[in-house]
Amino acid sequence: MISYSFHWNQAFKALPQMLDGALVTLQIAILSMVVGLAVALALTLFRLSGNRALSGFATGWVEIARNTPALFQIYMAHFGLGNFGIHLSPYTALLVGIAFNNAGYLAENFRGALKAIPDTQTRAGRSLGMTPLQAFRYIVLPQMLRVAFLPATNQMVWAILMTSLGVTVGMNTDLAGVTQELNARSFRTFEFFAIAAVIYYLIAKAVTLIARLFAARMFRY
Amino acid sequence: MKKTSVLAFGLVAATALTSPAKADKLDDIISSGTLRCAVVLDFPPMGSRDENNNPIGFDVDYCNDLAKALGVTAEIVETPFPERIPALMSGRVDVGVASTSDTLERAKTVGMTIPYFAFQMAVTANDKSGIKSFEDMKGKTVGATAGTFEAIALEKSVKEWGAGEFRPYQTQADVFLALSQGQIDATVSTSTVAQSNVKSGKFAGISVVGMAPYDIDYVSLFTNREEYGLINYLNLFINQQVRTGRYAELYEKWVGGDLPSLSVNGVYR
Repeated sequence: MISYSFHWNQAFKALPQMLDGALVTLQIAILSMVVGLAVALALTLFRLSGNRALSGFATGWVEIARNTPALFQIYMAHFGLGNFGIHLSPYTALLVGIAFNNAGYLAENFRGALKAIPDTQTRAGRSLGMTPLQAFRYIVLPQMLRVAFLPATNQMVWAILMTSLGVTVGMNTDLAGVTQELNARSFRTFEFFAIAAVIYYLIAKAVTLIARLFAARMFRY
Repeated sequence: MKKTSVLAFGLVAATALTSPAKADKLDDIISSGTLRCAVVLDFPPMGSRDENNNPIGFDVDYCNDLAKALGVTAEIVETPFPERIPALMSGRVDVGVASTSDTLERAKTVGMTIPYFAFQMAVTANDKSGIKSFEDMKGKTVGATAGTFEAIALEKSVKEWGAGEFRPYQTQADVFLALSQGQIDATVSTSTVAQSNVKSGKFAGISVVGMAPYDIDYVSLFTNREEYGLINYLNLFINQQVRTGRYAELYEKWVGGDLPSLSVNGVYR
């Protein structure tokens, strides 16, 4: 490291490009969370349904998503599906891979959150004349979301960081992709990576902060 | 008294550490007895692995020759293209023998030698894409290995065409996998890599369709920018390899065909 002299002024010239990349990163992370939450909710319902096939499908999804590397999941979304003639662009493959991972982890969050709500509440609701669906919708779900919210923001941060794996499937518009490309062109590795790390850090911090503020307003007793 | 003697000892130690008569990298390599080369082993025929997982290729042989000239043992450090500079800067390798294009932009960061090899760029296309020449690539989805000369040139072309899409993959193998799957329609790579991948039979449904009109890609050995002693030695080594016929011999062994000239007409160096 002694032999490396930093040229920050050269690196900062590329800052606008890197910030554009950061926007793409944020966009993918948010989309993957929206899709992930929807799928996770479906998987949770599948598991509660008592139907063998549905709950088996949900369990299989959760098992694969949680016990294989995200890199593998994203790689499979691009090259694995590509083998069967299904061609996802790097952007879509990255989104699908992260959403798959999110759904698995969030479904497990939801399951934990459900366990925290006593069964007696559902029974109380039912005895007041609610249908099972109503009891879930009005009694269980709001509480479940409250319990699951903060763990879910962790997953959001994780999703942001996972977008950096997109470079393995040819992604060049997100923050990691832009950084890699600038690095390849100029070899100013340490400057660009340091700037990228700071940007990732700031995004992740901002997300955590916003989530806390949101939770403080939304989930007041 | 005690305090002053401690101070004096500190001063002596500090001067000893910062003394100007320090050994340079060439000395370090010779005294350590090992030459650590960054070689890309995903880039046949320059660098790859044989059935027993041993590194082989033109670059591997060049590293071995260099170590022999220095009287030390060679250590091949596998380094993917994007990691060449971090490997050098973090002191994991001494010299890059990694088919590195000698761009002026990069020479601001590392010290480049005179060219030791020269590539021509070829277009390889998926047979279903209907691409028959470089011009046909306009508007298609194309890709190349991230961080290489041809990737930078191809991305520039795609931007100039204003149509189509460019995808950089991390390894040469991923580029050809994506190409044979039809994820990308064509790629530009060095003609040596193109031929060797098409011939390998590992990737179905692709063929070399022509040359790309890019400049000849001269590649250099590289080391730390300020290591003039070592760069000087490397330049002489490259010169001697050509002079003694070793360059031609290794070219015949790994590539075959017309030997690329390493000199540029009408200018020094």
